[in-house]
Amino acid sequence: MGEEFRFIGKKIPRQDALDIVTGRVRFLNDIRLPNMLYGHALRSPYAHALIKKVDKSRALRLKGVKAVLTWEDVPDWKGGSRNTTRILDRKVRFVGDVVALVAAETKRLAIEAARLLKVEYEVLPHVLSPDEAMREGAPLLYDEYPGNILPSGVPQWGGPRSLKSVVMGNVEEGLKEAHAIAEGEFRYEHIPNPIPLESPGAIGLWEEPNRMTIWVSDQAFYKHVEYLRRIVGEEIEIRTFGLPCGGSYGSKSMSWQVQLYAVLLSRATGCPVHFSLTKHEHLATFVLRPSSRIKGKVGMKRDGTVTAISGTWLVDTGYYSQTTQAQVAVGCGEAQLAIRSQNWDLRSLIVCTNRTASGIVRGFGGQELKCSLIPLLCLAMAKLDVDPVDFFKKNFAKPGDGYFWRDGLWYTYRGVDPAPVIEEGARRFGWREKWKGWLRPTSVDGQKRRGVGVGIHGNADVGEDASEAYVRLDWNGTATIFSCLTEHGTGQKTNIARMAAEVLQLSMERMRHAPADSLIGPRERGPGGSRMTYAAGSAVIKAAEDAREKLLILAAPLFGTTPEDLDTKDGMVFQRHKPEKRIPWSSILEGTRTVMGYGRFEPDYSISNCLVTFVEVEVDTETGKVDLLKVFNATNAGRIIDPQSLEGQLNGCLGSAGIDTAIFEETIMDGSTGHILNANLVDYKWRTFLELPEIENVILEIPYPTHRFHAVGVGEIATSPGPLAVWMAVCNAVGQFFYEYPLTPERVLAALKRGGKV
Amino acid sequence: MACLPGVIFVIDAMRTLRSIRLIVNGEEKVFKVGRGPGQVKPFETLAETLRETLGLTGTKISCDEGACGACTVIMNGKAVPSCMILTVECDGSKITTIEGLGRGPSGLDPLQQAFIEHTAFQCGFCTPGIIMSARALLNRNPNPGEEEIREALSGHLCRCISHYQVIEAVKEAARKERWERSSDS
Amino acid sequence: MRPFRHLDVESVEEACSVLRRYGRRARLNAGGTDLLALLKAEVLPRYPEVIVNIKTIPQMDYITEDDGRLRIGALARLSDIEASLIIREKYKLLSEAAHSVATPQIRHIATIGGNLCQEVRCFYFRYPYEIGGPILCARKGKGPCYAIRGDNRYHSIFGGKRCFAVCPSDMATALCALEGRVVVAGPQGEREIPIEEFYHPLGTHMKEEEMVKEVTIPRLEGAERQVFLKFTLRRPVDFAIVSVAAVITMEGTLCKGARICLGGVAPTPLRAKRAEELLLDEPLTDTVVHRAAEEALLETRPLKKNGYKIEIAKALLKRALSVI
Repeated sequence: MGEEFRFIGKKIPRQDALDIVTGRVRFLNDIRLPNMLYGHALRSPYAHALIKKVDKSRALRLKGVKAVLTWEDVPDWKGGSRNTTRILDRKVRFVGDVVALVAAETKRLAIEAARLLKVEYEVLPHVLSPDEAMREGAPLLYDEYPGNILPSGVPQWGGPRSLKSVVMGNVEEGLKEAHAIAEGEFRYEHIPNPIPLESPGAIGLWEEPNRMTIWVSDQAFYKHVEYLRRIVGEEIEIRTFGLPCGGSYGSKSMSWQVQLYAVLLSRATGCPVHFSLTKHEHLATFVLRPSSRIKGKVGMKRDGTVTAISGTWLVDTGYYSQTTQAQVAVGCGEAQLAIRSQNWDLRSLIVCTNRTASGIVRGFGGQELKCSLIPLLCLAMAKLDVDPVDFFKKNFAKPGDGYFWRDGLWYTYRGVDPAPVIEEGARRFGWREKWKGWLRPTSVDGQKRRGVGVGIHGNADVGEDASEAYVRLDWNGTATIFSCLTEHGTGQKTNIARMAAEVLQLSMERMRHAPADSLIGPRERGPGGSRMTYAAGSAVIKAAEDAREKLLILAAPLFGTTPEDLDTKDGMVFQRHKPEKRIPWSSILEGTRTVMGYGRFEPDYSISNCLVTFVEVEVDTETGKVDLLKVFNATNAGRIIDPQSLEGQLNGCLGSAGIDTAIFEETIMDGSTGHILNANLVDYKWRTFLELPEIENVILEIPYPTHRFHAVGVGEIATSPGPLAVWMAVCNAVGQFFYEYPLTPERVLAALKRGGKV
Repeated sequence: MACLPGVIFVIDAMRTLRSIRLIVNGEEKVFKVGRGPGQVKPFETLAETLRETLGLTGTKISCDEGACGACTVIMNGKAVPSCMILTVECDGSKITTIEGLGRGPSGLDPLQQAFIEHTAFQCGFCTPGIIMSARALLNRNPNPGEEEIREALSGHLCRCISHYQVIEAVKEAARKERWERSSDS
Repeated sequence: MRPFRHLDVESVEEACSVLRRYGRRARLNAGGTDLLALLKAEVLPRYPEVIVNIKTIPQMDYITEDDGRLRIGALARLSDIEASLIIREKYKLLSEAAHSVATPQIRHIATIGGNLCQEVRCFYFRYPYEIGGPILCARKGKGPCYAIRGDNRYHSIFGGKRCFAVCPSDMATALCALEGRVVVAGPQGEREIPIEEFYHPLGTHMKEEEMVKEVTIPRLEGAERQVFLKFTLRRPVDFAIVSVAAVITMEGTLCKGARICLGGVAPTPLRAKRAEELLLDEPLTDTVVHRAAEEALLETRPLKKNGYKIEIAKALLKRALSVI
């Protein structure tokens, strides 16, 4: 690459490593504030009901109980993408929906008090699937949404223009040109849960007359101020503190309810209130992936050109949507990045049902769409014997291609062609030797059949949204970064420090972070998708560059030369051509002067990342069990900033409701009562140390036209191609296409019985 | 109520423990059993006592039903799920938590040092539990193979997927400790 | 957890005496790895007033062989059973079954008595209070069985009675193949119950004031072939979807005796008696094994979502008899 870096690309211990391995990190549940109370919710046993009456008397008489709130005691605060979901409502819309809130001196007392509440319900009929929800005469969750159909589009992303469908060209003509046409319906409707280990929660403090402070557990903290402002109005001052986060994978972006429960209980008691979910509540009443169903038709030519794609994308968002329209918008954009067709008619429909909400999870709509749309294309590929690796190489966006992005505008792709990455990944995986054609196993050994599959994903969010950062230089040769993120596993806090360290040539020990406080941090949404490295990283780099420049301007008169003639390293400014002439920062800044650098990044939706996942599975045809043997991820990071965290992110494909959603991860709901039956960590399945597949991450460094370090983020997309790849591998092993996830022994055995070749 | 001959009839007060003695990270802690502040309630778990009464919040609670390993501590030499143990049943037990590790000039256990070097964590929530299981393993078996390491850690949920780095870190810590031991002797 | 009082007892007699006095208002606590979960989720029909610690009863965790039997105290930890030299040498399927349970941390405190007496894993039975539960069902004596018309993918394929959940205990399955007997102690004295008769669809055959004291297995000399196979979606943590424990005595190429037990398919560990008969005096060829597996799964009564278990059970049986 030419450039030699001191910190970029090097193995550097994370700044919080010591605190993590000693258990000193203080997560939400480790925080104790003076006079803090604990909150708990009474939750509905019914999927749909009106609350007729709540008798609080016995609960309030319990010693140590400080407040009980129902829908009548709270302001008309409404969240969700169209602000139609009230913080507490007189209607409950899913089993586990909140009926009342209690604050008490201990959590146990709050639970006890909740038990003493007497509630009278009027049970209503409910709908638990999109089909039930859309039926004529179906009960409505909201008066605002006839037919239980939610309005599409994202107001902040161009309003009516924002993407809810992909429509261009002429599908009829396209189908005529096709050498093969395929039709089908695929369902990714098992609503898996990303299950971060740390359950969601918040501490809330209300101070009269109009100030709320929230201790937030999430990957970023300022964006919650934005979300909450839209709910509570402009007159309320909102301040958030960001705590280290024990995993989020996007889901804790939807914490407005637990946050406001804590705040409202604080308002009612005058004390800070800690509100966090038990793991049962986390699994039954918090965020799930959207449910996704594609019914469509595609036309394809022998060379893999997609001549037409049409169909409906039916999304079930559960009882409300906060981000589902946004996920649909981004999913539609991502579909065009992965499939270069001139003729599209793919329309989305978002439906609400009486179960806990679906929302933002790593993959953000793209995973759900890919898992249900690409199989349709595979049907056509199979008819024409098109190798899927060739298909993806051909069809992923190339520089110069155009696509509609989430705001409905047309962008020209200026990223890097991922074909070399796909090819390298395929080569290292041994794809050409293992691929035997569609619906053919790679090998057969008695009842065991092996199959291979490949998935792809890319997101043009690497430069999404504006970002700002500040960097302050102090006399003692330290730099403090003001940014928007909290540590949630990606190591990015250390990475923005290393980017700034590289610019300022300061050792990592001299890099600091300002407290995670929305009052002093920049106003931006922080990490999400893959934007941290490029978007937020650029802002930090610019801020560091700005600070450096200001420092050198200050130093120049002391050297009797121009700033261009100077450089700084390890807290010493020196003259480039006479490096023995050096002055420490302490002399330039003395005790009282600081230098403040500011950096801003403007959004850039013209660049996408790309990741392919190759998998090899083994199917036991007697028991139907699917074993994941090998996972190969291949991507281009532009330039590796942090090799260890990058490995971690790519390995993360086995977590956050990724690959295993094709095998054993699913949320099991009773289809007639709406109870989520596996809301615990024994019955919700996750991958263990005993069953780790062989994993290899092929990371290329073909520079991106992004920032100073030419890097691009790949964090979010790591999970998304996996389930599709596993689906493909199992189809090939078994000799049949599957139309639903996950591929449980029951489904595999049923397919084999139906006539998969054995 | 009939009294069975030869059987001591139970009187609650005699058989309810009045105080509990624990040795936590080498320090003796004595608690009265009761409902008052600083006392241990009969229905309190070891995880709660460690976190709330002793302020040792390094031990985490996640599933609170023994499935995920986040609450793992070492009790009487074995890795145990502290959320599934009643403190009142631990009288006389020796307990080590993450806060109790660390020796040598850096003040860190070789496992902790190895975890830092290998970045064997991402969000870090599962890390204290994993380190405790690994510590218990190396105490019992200083030369574990990879399979034994995986077995010892098989009761840990890490959703960020640090597994691969964790295994390397444990191997390295074991190597270091064996080397140290052989150079001591 | 909700409050309760706590007692330590120092003898089996004392424990039974407390049970007699309190009835369902008291619960014995051994390892606690099932009881505490049930208490936290508040799913028992009646939350106990008193928890009785039986770990303070001395010498209840032995693993010894005497004249005719292997005897294991009810408080023997699963990790000790797993590691025991006697068991690994001569009763290895018991060690393998113990190893397959839950996680290492749980095995360090869970006991064989507790494992045998643990509650069923039915989703509906275990539905926690704090998310709109509990669900009052037939097993709790308070309603219908919800699994019957709900999600019964893990339930019994051999029917039930009012309750259709399977016996979740891997140790029970293993003991069944080893002719294990449960020694139960009560105010009236001790009695032995063969493990296959220990369970019924709604619980165990112990009386309210009885407790498990020990488990015995007729002594083996190591000539028998043993196998334990457990089918799960992933390892470890999971309960068996289907499991097979088998002890086979061979003479040359012929099978001279077989005890085969299926777990995860019925409210009790199920002896595959038809299969055992078919194997007698036969070589374990593919044909013979195949027929035995088919016969063992002839009289199933699958529910709407668990028919797939039949295929898996056959496959596991065949596999067990092939590797043995």
